[in-house]
Amino acid sequence: MRGWYSNFVSAGWVVPVFTVVWIGLVVVPLLIMVLFSFVEIRDYRVVYDLTLKNWESLIDSGRWISVVRTLRVTAVITLIEILVAFPFALWLAKGCKSKNVKAAIITLLTIPFFLDPSSRTIVWRAILGKSGIINTVFIELGLIDQPMEWLLFSEFAVHFGMIAPYFPTMVFPIYLVLTLIDDDYLQASQDLGASPLQTLIHIILPLALPGIVAGIVFTMVPLMAAFVEPGMLGGGFVNLLGESVEAALRNLKYPTAAALSAVVIALLAVLLTALVLILRRRGSLGAIFVTLKR
Amino acid sequence: MSEGALSAAAAVAPDRVTATASFWRALSAWRGWAAIAKWLGLVVLILTYVPLMWLAVMSFSGRPLSGIPYPLTLDHYASLLGDARWVEPFITSFVMGLIVAGACMVVATMVGRSIPRMRRPGGVLLIALTPLFVPGLTMGAALFIFIRTYLELRLGAWSIFVGHLVWALPFALLMVLVIATRFDHRLLEAAEDLGAKRWRRFWDIEFPIMRPAIIGAGLFGFLLSFNELLRSIFLRGSETTMPIFNWIMAASHQSQVPIIFSLATIVLAVTLPLMGGFFWVLFTRLDRS
Repeated sequence: MRGWYSNFVSAGWVVPVFTVVWIGLVVVPLLIMVLFSFVEIRDYRVVYDLTLKNWESLIDSGRWISVVRTLRVTAVITLIEILVAFPFALWLAKGCKSKNVKAAIITLLTIPFFLDPSSRTIVWRAILGKSGIINTVFIELGLIDQPMEWLLFSEFAVHFGMIAPYFPTMVFPIYLVLTLIDDDYLQASQDLGASPLQTLIHIILPLALPGIVAGIVFTMVPLMAAFVEPGMLGGGFVNLLGESVEAALRNLKYPTAAALSAVVIALLAVLLTALVLILRRRGSLGAIFVTLKR
Repeated sequence: MSEGALSAAAAVAPDRVTATASFWRALSAWRGWAAIAKWLGLVVLILTYVPLMWLAVMSFSGRPLSGIPYPLTLDHYASLLGDARWVEPFITSFVMGLIVAGACMVVATMVGRSIPRMRRPGGVLLIALTPLFVPGLTMGAALFIFIRTYLELRLGAWSIFVGHLVWALPFALLMVLVIATRFDHRLLEAAEDLGAKRWRRFWDIEFPIMRPAIIGAGLFGFLLSFNELLRSIFLRGSETTMPIFNWIMAASHQSQVPIIFSLATIVLAVTLPLMGGFFWVLFTRLDRS
């Protein structure tokens, strides 16, 4: 028994077996999916003749509009998150002196990762809806006569509902990288006569770049296939890629779903490559791993 | 890198201070920026937690989708008790969470302690962390097409497990790696010299040191699985987990929404204090070490 156990915890075979299994569970399905975007389904059977039909219908059916819309919404939300998260992370890492406040805020930022997406989204209907709390209060106060209909089932609602869920993924990487910046650098910059703005631009931003890029990646990845928020708050008016994939699979149009998903993967690959190239030019790709090791 | 940043600071040293420069200097020295930075972030946190509180308030409301919580009622809780449909999804999610947590603890420990011993771990690490770079919905669709259409297998609880494991394991692995990469392997050599067998070396030396990370891996595994929706939607077959139940109820009929409000409130009332307490202890302890 002991002998079997000791073999079990030995290093030798674990990594190779894990790697093979993981390639089978992650990489192979993704490749098969890309392959599926080039096949057809006839009489409920997959016909393995390569064809561009699915991709052509993607363009003909106007689904590319939802691709563009997804990119636009992703870009807007990511931008909002950076603009709020970077200053907030800077304050949290360098400005917040109370350790308890810091721990409390980090706790509050961690919990949302584990909230049920449907229930935290559906409640916005009771807040933004025609007879929701905002419209009710505003009408009672006499500020408006008619309920504001654009609050719910609109692009505004989708954007608004997405701000909070995609915030922590942007804050955490930036916060981590900012805590690693030595306070002596900031002091030195100040002693040499730099204004806070100059310190920010010439010292903090370059050193924080890996964290900012990581934040962008981890925020964009789930945003590109966002599904619950546009579905529940868009009311059918804000069709994004995620919903199209789900609808295509529900209607058994597997190749269409595969093509749409392949678009998501391709767009992400392009964005990731671009970000890595930017990082490499700044010569700080290695810095991520150096900072990780500390 | 840091030297470059320092010389950049030197380059902008104050030999030429013009009027515009002093304007920017005064503007950037304004104390209010820190307050703005802090409050904008706190507003987003408020946007996270106020809806949850509103969810709890409205679960007691007679008109849950209206603006006013009054009249208060316990009807929704009563109908939740009378309605058995949520029990099975709840049990499925709970058991699934435990299984995923166990799998994450075992696999992340085994792989996590082996990776730092490799000479070039980059490739394995990249493959292991790939799921972090693939949206949940896309991974779910890929696994669905692979399992259902390509391999022509029946979907069920096992395929949900696969989807959850692919999602949760990278996080668990990262947790274990944080400690495993700092592990001093001379401890094991010393134990070997003293005659300890392999299992003893693992159980008496490595395991106690890695225990916090292993527990964290399990906790993350459970929580990520318990609330997972995007992958489960495709991989469920005829199974229903709690998030799927909530999603179907929320997406279908307005009349079902109150039940979700009360169900979600109960789940939050149990999990929020637990998570809050756990992370509070974790982060205050991390800060001290």
